[in-house]
Amino acid sequence: MQWWCSAQGQPWDWTWRPYVGVWLLVALIAAGYVALRRRYPPTALDGGDGSHSAAYFVTGLILLWAALDWPLAALGASYLASAHVTQFLLAGVVAPGLMLLGIPAGAFGAIERRPTLHAFLGDLTHPVPAFLIFNVGMTVTHWPGVVDAAMATQMGAFALDMAWVLGGVIFWWPLLAPIPARPMFHPLLKIGYLALNGILIRPPFAMMLFSEYPIYSTYELAPPFPGTNPLHDQQLAGAIMKVVTAWIMGIAAWMVFMKWKRMEAVDDGGG
Amino acid sequence: MVLKRALIPIVLLVPLAACEPPGGSDEMANSPLRGSIVETGSERPRFTLSDTHGNPYSFEDETDGLLAFIFFGYTNCPDVCPIHMATLASSIERLDPADRGRVRVVFISTDPLRDTPDVLRRWLDSFDPGFVGLRGTVDEVNAVAESLLLPPAAVPVGAGDSYTVGHAASVLAVTPDGGTRVKYGFGTRQEDWATDLPLLLQWKAQAP
Repeated sequence: MQWWCSAQGQPWDWTWRPYVGVWLLVALIAAGYVALRRRYPPTALDGGDGSHSAAYFVTGLILLWAALDWPLAALGASYLASAHVTQFLLAGVVAPGLMLLGIPAGAFGAIERRPTLHAFLGDLTHPVPAFLIFNVGMTVTHWPGVVDAAMATQMGAFALDMAWVLGGVIFWWPLLAPIPARPMFHPLLKIGYLALNGILIRPPFAMMLFSEYPIYSTYELAPPFPGTNPLHDQQLAGAIMKVVTAWIMGIAAWMVFMKWKRMEAVDDGGG
Repeated sequence: MVLKRALIPIVLLVPLAACEPPGGSDEMANSPLRGSIVETGSERPRFTLSDTHGNPYSFEDETDGLLAFIFFGYTNCPDVCPIHMATLASSIERLDPADRGRVRVVFISTDPLRDTPDVLRRWLDSFDPGFVGLRGTVDEVNAVAESLLLPPAAVPVGAGDSYTVGHAASVLAVTPDGGTRVKYGFGTRQEDWATDLPLLLQWKAQAP
């Protein structure tokens, strides 16, 4: 039995497999969130009774769980590059954003009262480092040699998954977290930040789309998955990555724009 | 690594060195091939088995002047056989039609009980209808394997219908002039085949 899902080298079947490490991680995050909600009950900043923020967090956590557990994790670890990038989009892009949206405002206030942590987060999540960390991380964690080496062991697969989640949190932080306050990060810049991430084609995804041969030995030399072949699956993976990332960034940019419009309307009404 | 570890129990991985003739040559040492040259200056292998139509297939006659790949395996193989056949088929498909016509893939079944001619034909057709399937008794097939310096098949006795067969995990290429044999272990990728196929098609064994 594996504690974290890694490449198996066995023919695929639909037999369910437990990954205890994933359950433990999800349980720990859920317990941490419950404790956070108790310590920092919803305020007006959380939009009333906080049910919206809780819904965001729970949805994010469920998506994270779905990305890391059977069957998606098993398919992504051994058989299909397309499942692997779907895992990334869920665990490294969608889930971190939703979970960050679910953090009670009071919890961010607590960070503000810890100067060292506040300064560290301020530097780490400045839009420029956040952009670089996310994109370099995305490139490195999808580089063929890295994926092939990491997916071969449970510890490697775990490290890759955690790097995705962490990269996603850093990416969304300057957009969604209220601290440190960034008055200079105007909504137009936020839209630019998102648009740039939606447009960019990172090297591994260009390789997935345009390479003549399968780039990941993990998937090329895996027992065949019915109905596909490694090259077509790899091209599908590249297309999923490009199209879905662009959609996610587009939706987020539209939400930033709508929020900006609402705030402008409030400002105009108040003035 | 995990993939390879998982496969070790079901294939006979005989160290390459054990199959090579002693000494070697410059051709072996300086080869631009990604596969390993295991024999040079030899003659085209001679053996006859039955094809999937039940007709005798003389390897020497049928592949004369062609680049031939020989692989010992079985259709119920969960991993090595379908992976080798799939990567080889994808790579041959990329050759231009004239070169494609100069390549033969000869799959020799190590599981004659379950690999009936029909089963073998259907399985090979799923990769490439041009692949040749050969059958014989286990003893006949093992005699061929041993003549090619490959390990014999290990077929379990009295195991019912669900069993795995130990077999060589390498594909053996025989160059068009018949003089050079090149071995490709499990893990050979499409890019490796794409590099070596044009070289193998032009290969001429150096004079000793």
